Amino acid sequence: MDRECVSLLPRVCEVLRGSGSSLPDDTSLEKLLDWFTGLTEAGGSVQETCPCLLEFISAVVLKTSSDPGVICFTLKLSGLIASTEHGFKTLQGSVLDMAFNPQHWRDAGLWEDPCIRIGWIQGLRNMLQHSKAFTFFVQADFIVPLLQLQTDSSLFVASAANQTLAHTLVFFQPGGNGTFKDHGKVERTQTSISDEEPFSQDYSSVLGTISQFLKESLLPKENTGLHQSQQVLKLLALLLARARQPLRDKLLGTVADSLQELVAAGYSQLTPPLMDIILAAYSSSSTDDCVPDQRVTRLLSSMLNITKPSDLIGAAAAFLRGGRHHQDTVHTAWAVRILLLPLHIVTGQTLLGTDTTVEEHRFSIAEKLKIKTSCVSMICVCLTHTPPITLMPGDLLPCPPVSILTAVLSLLRIVSGDSSSLSSGCSEVFRNLVGSGKVQKCALEVLTGLSSSPGMKDKQTEVVTVLIQYLNNPDSDPTVIHKSYQALLKWMSVCEDVSSLTDNFKQDLIDVVKKRVCDMRWEVRDSTVEFLGKLAGVLKQGEETCGALLGGCWSTPLLREALQDPESYVRASAISALAQTLEPSWHQGAAVTQGQTDIVTRLLEILSQDTEAFARRAVVQYFIAWFSSRSSHTSPLSSPSSSSSSSSSSLRTNSVSSVLSLGSADLDWEVKVHTLELAELLMDEACSGHRGYRKGSDTPPALRHPYAVISARPLGEGAESDLAGALRNLVEQGVVWALLSGLVDCDRPVGLKACQLLITLRDTVCPRPPPGASPATAAASKVSCELPGCGWGREIRKIPGMKRLDRVKEADVAHRTRCGEVGIERTSEGGDSVCVSVCDILSSLGLDEKLDELSQSSDHVHNSALSLLQDILTASAAHTQQDTEPGQEVIVDCY
Amino acid sequence: MPEIKVTPLGAGQDVGRSCILVSIGGKNIMLDCGMHMGYNDDRRFPDFSYITQNGRLTEFLDCVIISHFHLDHCGALPFMSEMVGYDGPIYMTHPTKAICPILLEDFRKITVDKKGETNFFTSQMIKDCMKKVVPLNLHQTVQVDDELEIKAYYAGHVLGAAMVQIKVGSESVVYTGDYNMTPDRHLGAAWIDKCRPDMLITESTYATTIRDSKRCRERDFLKKVHESIERGGKVLIPVFALGRAQELCILLETFWERMNLKAPIYFSTGLTEKANHYYKLFITWTNQKIRKTFVQRNMFEFKHIKPFDRSFIDNPGPMVVFATPGMLHAGLSLQIFKKWAGNEKNMVIMPGYCVQGTIGHKILNGQRKLEMEGRSTLEVKMQVEYMSFSAHADAKGIMQLIRMAEPRNVLLVHGEAAKMGFLKGKIEQEFSIDCYMPANGETVSVTTNPSVPVDISLNLLKREMALGGPLPDPKKPRTMHGTLIMKENSLKLVSSEQALKELGLNEHQLRFTCRVQLQDPHSDPDTLHRIYTHLKSVLKGYTIQHLPDGTVMVESIVIKVSSSAEDTNTKVLLLSWSYQDEELGSFLSTLLKKGLPAGIC
Repeated sequence: MDRECVSLLPRVCEVLRGSGSSLPDDTSLEKLLDWFTGLTEAGGSVQETCPCLLEFISAVVLKTSSDPGVICFTLKLSGLIASTEHGFKTLQGSVLDMAFNPQHWRDAGLWEDPCIRIGWIQGLRNMLQHSKAFTFFVQADFIVPLLQLQTDSSLFVASAANQTLAHTLVFFQPGGNGTFKDHGKVERTQTSISDEEPFSQDYSSVLGTISQFLKESLLPKENTGLHQSQQVLKLLALLLARARQPLRDKLLGTVADSLQELVAAGYSQLTPPLMDIILAAYSSSSTDDCVPDQRVTRLLSSMLNITKPSDLIGAAAAFLRGGRHHQDTVHTAWAVRILLLPLHIVTGQTLLGTDTTVEEHRFSIAEKLKIKTSCVSMICVCLTHTPPITLMPGDLLPCPPVSILTAVLSLLRIVSGDSSSLSSGCSEVFRNLVGSGKVQKCALEVLTGLSSSPGMKDKQTEVVTVLIQYLNNPDSDPTVIHKSYQALLKWMSVCEDVSSLTDNFKQDLIDVVKKRVCDMRWEVRDSTVEFLGKLAGVLKQGEETCGALLGGCWSTPLLREALQDPESYVRASAISALAQTLEPSWHQGAAVTQGQTDIVTRLLEILSQDTEAFARRAVVQYFIAWFSSRSSHTSPLSSPSSSSSSSSSSLRTNSVSSVLSLGSADLDWEVKVHTLELAELLMDEACSGHRGYRKGSDTPPALRHPYAVISARPLGEGAESDLAGALRNLVEQGVVWALLSGLVDCDRPVGLKACQLLITLRDTVCPRPPPGASPATAAASKVSCELPGCGWGREIRKIPGMKRLDRVKEADVAHRTRCGEVGIERTSEGGDSVCVSVCDILSSLGLDEKLDELSQSSDHVHNSALSLLQDILTASAAHTQQDTEPGQEVIVDCY
Repeated sequence: MPEIKVTPLGAGQDVGRSCILVSIGGKNIMLDCGMHMGYNDDRRFPDFSYITQNGRLTEFLDCVIISHFHLDHCGALPFMSEMVGYDGPIYMTHPTKAICPILLEDFRKITVDKKGETNFFTSQMIKDCMKKVVPLNLHQTVQVDDELEIKAYYAGHVLGAAMVQIKVGSESVVYTGDYNMTPDRHLGAAWIDKCRPDMLITESTYATTIRDSKRCRERDFLKKVHESIERGGKVLIPVFALGRAQELCILLETFWERMNLKAPIYFSTGLTEKANHYYKLFITWTNQKIRKTFVQRNMFEFKHIKPFDRSFIDNPGPMVVFATPGMLHAGLSLQIFKKWAGNEKNMVIMPGYCVQGTIGHKILNGQRKLEMEGRSTLEVKMQVEYMSFSAHADAKGIMQLIRMAEPRNVLLVHGEAAKMGFLKGKIEQEFSIDCYMPANGETVSVTTNPSVPVDISLNLLKREMALGGPLPDPKKPRTMHGTLIMKENSLKLVSSEQALKELGLNEHQLRFTCRVQLQDPHSDPDTLHRIYTHLKSVLKGYTIQHLPDGTVMVESIVIKVSSSAEDTNTKVLLLSWSYQDEELGSFLSTLLKKGLPAGIC
């Protein structure tokens, strides 16, 4: 532990002890506890490092007049300290008994506060990590209040009590290998849990009490209602999911009859928790490679035969969701039939064939479907489970999977009010479904899911017809349209041959998209534009079909139009979609059309003028997409002037400087990060193949030690001058400026990215020469760039290493007019700009130290434990001052 | 009894993240879905596992309603809808829908800035979430489904803030979100109908405060800025993208105009344009003054406030800069702060609350030596001022709203426990209604007496009238007899004959029978006659008949006599009556059990 923190803790304890009212920030205590937990989990002994904590605990427990939040914290902290045997012994000698005695808090009138009860439970939970704590738990008879809290009026208290009860039985269960993983937290080893006689007696007594409680409380009583049963069921589910033999068997033995009785009683609210239990018991027994327990199987059979339709459907759905159905074909086939029954009734599709086993439920389900609310929720549950059903082995299904798809399609037609579907199925149910957005959304999602099921391809035309109807339907809400597009994309992506779709379909699709891209609602326009982008992506996978659907590039004009959209989300989506529709010819340096040039000009306008960041981010990403997919035949080091002026390469090269300069001066951090990504691509292109160049800037710093072998190949004269040329290009394109301005950016992710790239550049173009050798990259070291006299240029020049460089350069003012070998002149607003060798800059910036700093969280200093302790102290001082001098009180309000 | 249940998952005795579950008439509604900015892990979001396991939120919740765009009210929404999984309807007003993504993006940036933050939503998720939002108009009733309807009212707090009334049948709840009962520079005061909800869930941030007039605070603010500028200092005002920043901009702009000041005012990150755009778009949501003057001059088109460029930080001379983020966690506001902190001529004005772990929190508590990266120390010599410009109703405002809405119960959220306790007492005393203040996780249940509308058949009314009953009058409730039938989710009171007809049922008569043993040494016909005579004398005014088939009838009650097989002196009387004459039947059986008086012949 930090010495400074240790020295502050006594004062912090004093402040906390003295605070009769809440702390000004309600997160402070939780963060303080996080810190102590971290220290304990790392193997430290909090009480030894900070003996003041013991005194603090005693004082709070004895005084009871502290703020309930502080008492809650103290109880949790006591538990944490007592979680090690050593800490336990230390506390046992003083206040442990009193701290965890509920009567003590009742006498102080504090037990009513849920905060105290939570502290008590979680303190116990923290402590129960070794047998001594368990013995303490048993001797103090804490099981009684803990069981009472299981049905507490506070959700949080009740849930914490359940967790602790489950932990107690599971963690200390005999016959285990001694480890217990608690929700991803540190794995503790039960080193001290022994099979000694007194311990096992204690365990049996706790198990006995809990079992008795479970047995007695499972069935609802008049005064408790269903709440207690629900809570007990939750506890049982927690226990059965984690219990091993023989504990699981004992528990099941205790509750099986009551559970059976509860199932028979048919309480709707208890169906989900009952299914959770059955599945927990079912899966834990199956993992031991045992045959599922007979009692569990019987319970499951009863659940899958409940008479109330919605409970029956809920139980069947839960069983399939549980994922254990592979071993139990009988129940699985049954659950499948139950879930298909409502669809069978509604759509009139023969999903159940000649199977009449579920016939007994048909009438009740049909009746329930006639009531609107239950109809919609039942249909949605059934629908949601159809995709996994279609993937099951054929012998479990009462019909071929394609029939299920047909039923879903016919349901979609019914819901959209398509009267042609009304001939079959149950018309009384139709009116409950027509226009239901919930069913529409659910069915469309299911349709998306069904695309990958076997044997569905033949239905493709029918599916797309329904989807286009949905897209055309004036009543479809934006979410329905969005889901229709998603389904359409999915079906087109799984289709082996898009050209198999008829011309009619293509025309219908084009018509509906043209209509929807002008929709009144931006949500619809955005989904449409997103669809066009993704469609291009799907179609690219099968190049030959690309022309078939995108014939005449009908989508590009629509997307260009969308660049003017008043909603920035739509503009951004249009730009992304345009990036997706970039044709292969663009990548290969072919001649560009006026339209393409116009797009680039428009995108640059957006980057410089759009007030919303989404669109500007998309522009930079467009250029990234364009650059990253350029063909490899373009010489990486070719000078921009060598390209033909009408080729896409030339257009790209001409625009790159603008993108870099606009992007790195942008006010949005993501635009800046994307600009640096673009700069990285240009660096990759310019420097790949050169000694020491590592593509990608994410190489961990640890790997970049100074003695790393870089390249055995001696660097020839030609390669060296190429390197200088490459660097010159980077300076000319504005890459170096973008990196340097990024380095001093106020947003950490920007600074970090720039720093990583600058290090890569430094290691490539100006590596430290091996001892005794002449500088191998002399040509590169002559390449210079200009640093502006204000803005980021000034920030760069203020970096300590740069100051020295600046002084040298200041003596050579004349040099300023002709900048570098390439003689580029840049003007800057105000301040004196100077020209400095790039290698000199790179080696003077202290990049490695900067990287260390930027790799840390931007709030690492102010979110540290030390900072927290200081905050508690100053907040208390400020509070005391306010009492004496009237000032404006800082009220926690809103943000 | 029907009841309304309210469980805060957040904002129960705290101001961290609002998230309140309401269960009314079988519907489950989530009110606000806020984020706590003080945590860097999952604790910043409400724990949805308390609602339902396995992320089945869409099945459980009927809708989510967001009151306004502040992150403590909407910050967890993309997490819930896109990461936990909720596909149902989300409601918020038009301005909230437009502005929410800006603030969510603002915060997403902060989380990216803080390394190691995981489980956070992306830009795409924010957009996908916003696309699911159904916008609300003020005073327009929106039907969520056949039974649930919601209606938004103006709340004043920030642009687009709304209070919302939730109604299922005749039961209703009003949730205020954050609101302000006094108009400010750009927004009006909250207003609601006298809708008499069963429950009013109100914020109570300033539960014990009677706030001084906003004019004083504004004057103070302008004075301080002016003094600082006059002495050549620079003023930094850290703000969140949208909200009170706009109010302060209007304030400064007007002041600069009036005083003819020349020092530049800057606003960072191009937000002025964006703000202008939204305030123009939603001009109807601003106050009357702004709306009136809008025709001549748009208050949000600032003459003196210019966009900020990073290179201006080092410019000499005085200036005022609005920069994000508002708590000085990171980014531009922090960078400017670091540069200017060392000069005592400069000033930083914190216009709102800052959570622990931020520099804003530290300087508000009076820390003047701040540890920075690399163990360096930043000495804060600049003047630090705190001026709360948040627009919440104070104690007086809350009471005023209760008076306006006339609720049957009040439930306090979004405030500190001790202050709530004080206000609770005041409300209960002044209005004689129950006031609750549940902690997070605690459920408050109130029973309601919903009036269930029932149609009455005309025939039944006519029959009632024919019997001389008064004309139906809604102000004078009275009892009506008939058969209540439920058909297609509506209730109807009809005559029993009509009910039989409508339901296609046959009429059945229900008769009670009972046996009474009697010692009477006469023949059976004699005993029957003795009974007849006895009853004649006892039951005056009743129709009593001795019928030739060997029975006595009193109204609908039939009495037969037979002798016991073993003992002819023991007579068994068989009584049978229809349920209309149940009282008389019971009386007769009791009477006859006592035997017949000796003197009867």
